Amino acid sequence: MKNLKSILGLALAATILTLAACKKDPKPDPQPQTGEVKIEFEHAWGPDFKPFRFDTALVHPSTKDTLTFQHLRYYITNIRLQRTDGSWWAQDESYYLVDASTETGSLLKLSGVPAGEYKALSYMLGVDSARNVSGAQSGFLSPTYGMYWPWTGYINIRAEGISPTSPTKAFTYHLGGYSGADNTVRTLNFSFPDQNLRCTPDGKPQVHMKVNTARFWHGGIKTANIHTIHAPGPNAVTLANNFAGAFVLDHVHN
Amino acid sequence: MCTTDRIRKNAGFLLLLPLLAACGREPEKSVPPGPELPPHFPAPVYLATQNPYTEAGIALGKALFHEPMLSRDGSVSCGTCHDQVHAFADHNVPLSMGVGGAIGKRNAPPVQNMIWNTSFMWDGSIRHLEVMPIAPITEPLEMAANWDTLLYRLRASEKYRRMFQAAFGSEQIDDQKMLKSLAQYMGTLVSAGSRYDAYVQGKGSLAPDEMQGLDIFRSQCASCHTEPLFTNQAFINNGLDVVSNDIGRMLITRKEEDRGSFRVPSLRNVALTYPYMHDGRFRTLEQVLDHYNSDKSDKPLADARVRNIRLNSEEKRALIAFLKTLTDYDFVSNPKHAQR
Repeated sequence: MKNLKSILGLALAATILTLAACKKDPKPDPQPQTGEVKIEFEHAWGPDFKPFRFDTALVHPSTKDTLTFQHLRYYITNIRLQRTDGSWWAQDESYYLVDASTETGSLLKLSGVPAGEYKALSYMLGVDSARNVSGAQSGFLSPTYGMYWPWTGYINIRAEGISPTSPTKAFTYHLGGYSGADNTVRTLNFSFPDQNLRCTPDGKPQVHMKVNTARFWHGGIKTANIHTIHAPGPNAVTLANNFAGAFVLDHVHN
Repeated sequence: MCTTDRIRKNAGFLLLLPLLAACGREPEKSVPPGPELPPHFPAPVYLATQNPYTEAGIALGKALFHEPMLSRDGSVSCGTCHDQVHAFADHNVPLSMGVGGAIGKRNAPPVQNMIWNTSFMWDGSIRHLEVMPIAPITEPLEMAANWDTLLYRLRASEKYRRMFQAAFGSEQIDDQKMLKSLAQYMGTLVSAGSRYDAYVQGKGSLAPDEMQGLDIFRSQCASCHTEPLFTNQAFINNGLDVVSNDIGRMLITRKEEDRGSFRVPSLRNVALTYPYMHDGRFRTLEQVLDHYNSDKSDKPLADARVRNIRLNSEEKRALIAFLKTLTDYDFVSNPKHAQR
């Protein structure tokens, strides 16, 4: 009977504890201060960052191929900012699709960033492997954006246009693949060069990235040889590596 | 057993009581919606943790599964080529017809026991139940839909606004909810009510020739068509062709050794789902057995398990008699799964 008593006692204690857990905290912590941070992607042409425009014939600085962009979209995901003490803030549900055809499509707005000073930025070019195998998604990860193959996951980078030297007269690069040797997802890290990023509730801090769109053809790639990529594989990996090198952190302003 | 012992044994339950009563939660309904898991099946792969089954979600998925609006010209639904009377496979045609008379590339498999699948499609290209329908819905040779048009149609429909509201608590219609409800409906399409199932659960018996067929099956076929799902879910070249026109699994792995390999199909309801093979080349089970009863020495990529099984005609008849016990008449006639 002693055992039974102690069990009943435990049951009573559990009841009290459970009931207590249901009570709302009378004094919630004051909301931590947050602000908005913008990341602007300025698309440019070549290492000198010459003007880049859609539907305009551009000559590649090294291969001399003529390339006319009609489409350029890519995923920027898992954005993190590093505080001056070295710790990181990671954005929740951090999935953006950059559309280089418009200015608004090239401007990411991060809300709810904790106020403070940050010294570095990190993000993924492409969608992490977990979200490739987690079922139906929403937001920018919706398949309605045409950046998803049900058979092999997200198209991390999609570039299309005209090139007269290509056998198809076009270049069509759908760069995807999220695992093993086919992985085209790249993590990029940038330190802020001149000053820290200062996030305050009413400030307008902005990170300005420059993106050299000629980088797809880095290393002498010509559209005569690589013009169509519609599946994961070595070509997709090569071009994704190339394009990962397109991103340069130009400046930060607060 | 003395009284104290019994009380002590049951006292553990007392510990749970306050937890069950906690925060005034409603007690669970006696029969939760969703698939009934057969006791002789393994744990399912698709656990629906991010997509809990609800009556309204399953009903919406069922309506969408049979909704021709999902195809470009409104002519075909999922159910057109996956009909309940054929265990949700096509109407005994080798290849299926999509919008505008387009002919697909591979035989439409039955939609059954999907929550146990580790991959989908003949080449295993799709890895998750919720995204599986994207392929047939958008494939030009099948439903050829454009997402914007499709969602516009659904949003314009009062019926679907009502059904999405009931299923997800909001009239807002989007592709994610659509895919999740389709997964809920497909998740309920469980076939485990055949005479074979009754036999292995000790609830029924098989005739002597069917028992002989089961013995042959277990010794000759079960290494790939493993019970109780009747597939080991592997990709096998079963020696159909010297060089396969359809590269099959190689499309995904890009490995030469996977040329002409396809996902081992389940044999549940096999009598209803003819014709057979990825291209529907065999019309009868007899033709299939003739294939497995032949030499594969001229087929260099054929899997070692696919050898000449050397059955005599009596053994073939027995094996086919057994395969017919895998037909689940409740599954193909259950009004719960039916279009209306």
